Amino acid sequence: MSQTTARTPRPALGAIRRPRRGLAALRGVQGFRRATQLAVTLVVLAVVVERTLAVAGGAAGGTVTTGEALCPFGGIETIGTFLATGSFVSHVHVSNVILGLAVLLVAFFARGAFCGWLCPLGFIQDLVAGFSHLVQRRIPPVRRAVRTLERRASRLAVLDRPLRLLKYAVLAWAVLGAAAFGVMVFRDVDPWNALLEIGSATVGIGLVVLVLVIVASFFVERAWCRYACPLGAATGIVSRFSPIRLERVEAACSSCGVCTTACPMGLPVATATVITSQDCIGCLECVEACPRSGALELRAGLPVLPTISFLPRRSADVTSVHIDS
Amino acid sequence: MRIKPIAFGILTVALFTGTIGVTMATGAWQTTGRTAAGAGAGGGGGPGSGAASGPVESGSATGDIKGWMTIGAVATTAGVSLPEILAAFALPADTPPETAVKDLESDVFSVTALRAWLTERTGPSTTTPEPASGTGADPASSEPAAP
Repeated sequence: MSQTTARTPRPALGAIRRPRRGLAALRGVQGFRRATQLAVTLVVLAVVVERTLAVAGGAAGGTVTTGEALCPFGGIETIGTFLATGSFVSHVHVSNVILGLAVLLVAFFARGAFCGWLCPLGFIQDLVAGFSHLVQRRIPPVRRAVRTLERRASRLAVLDRPLRLLKYAVLAWAVLGAAAFGVMVFRDVDPWNALLEIGSATVGIGLVVLVLVIVASFFVERAWCRYACPLGAATGIVSRFSPIRLERVEAACSSCGVCTTACPMGLPVATATVITSQDCIGCLECVEACPRSGALELRAGLPVLPTISFLPRRSADVTSVHIDS
Repeated sequence: MRIKPIAFGILTVALFTGTIGVTMATGAWQTTGRTAAGAGAGGGGGPGSGAASGPVESGSATGDIKGWMTIGAVATTAGVSLPEILAAFALPADTPPETAVKDLESDVFSVTALRAWLTERTGPSTTTPEPASGTGADPASSEPAAP
């Protein structure tokens, strides 16, 4: 690892970038990311609307594409069953498997970028978080109330790390449960499925979870992604082997902590050297927010596997490896 | 090697859409395993119903009958009148044709029972090869007949 960075030229230090604000912040990479998220969400929305209208028009739920056919997790959920029996779990289509493989392919080459760039549920959480920020900026009493709530909840911060393990348990339950029982055991509680099937007006646990996720996103950015998303858990495992990672160049960094504040996944980027956390969604908000040119850079090289741990380290809360020569 | 953030985004989108595009181009992309009653394609053994591949048991199309299909569509495609089906299973004569088969299930009526009855009526089962990949995925081409 040290050999890798020994060949890396150091950037010019200290060049201060002026942060983009308002609509200007939507130009460049973040604008591209938001456009991508919006496009994927609109495609899925179009499928859901088409399906809902077709069923309402008497198609009897027939052959019209369902929204759940566009869920990548269905393809991952059926892996155990497919390996054991050669068959897919009920409700899984070829499209689910293809999407699942595409997500894992993205995870290998671009870490959690599917979550940060393409996942509609992640986009919805981003929208709620953006709305939360807007409301807090415009309505001081709300800001104060949220701050007070955050202070009082700060004692629960010790639960953050163990709670991040929950998504791996959900992943295991979904895959093994599907293999054991032959049905998608996660489907009924899946908020994404609830959103896709919202036209069917069946109120279930999934819809309750969806509402909880949306409400939670107002207070905790990407709450579902942080703690419970099994797809994020799967991509996180694959991303451990990715040759691409984000590096913080200490010599160019002023340790202002802006990157940590900007991270929607709550990763303290400012105290890490190499960000290889499975929780990183590759949104590049930290890079965009960084006021120092060259302090945070994406690099490709041999996969960094410092520790096999599903938890971020306590000190840096991200996998941190000193790679200075 | 340093990677520009915009290149990272393009890589992400290209990998994802490229995978989907290639499978669409090769005909592997299927978003539904559901087909019309009697279409004899995919529904019996297609991905949506649990089997990854293989021949479809479609004995006179009855093997393709699914619980989500309407009783009217089943009657139309099987060439049997709806009142005849309803009478055979002692179902209410005023049952709307758009009722899903699964919604009519009782002690004496089930999808399996309906399949067996229709097979008996229309002849023994035959095994037909599954059509080329993708043919069952086109909603327009596999829309159930109007009840």
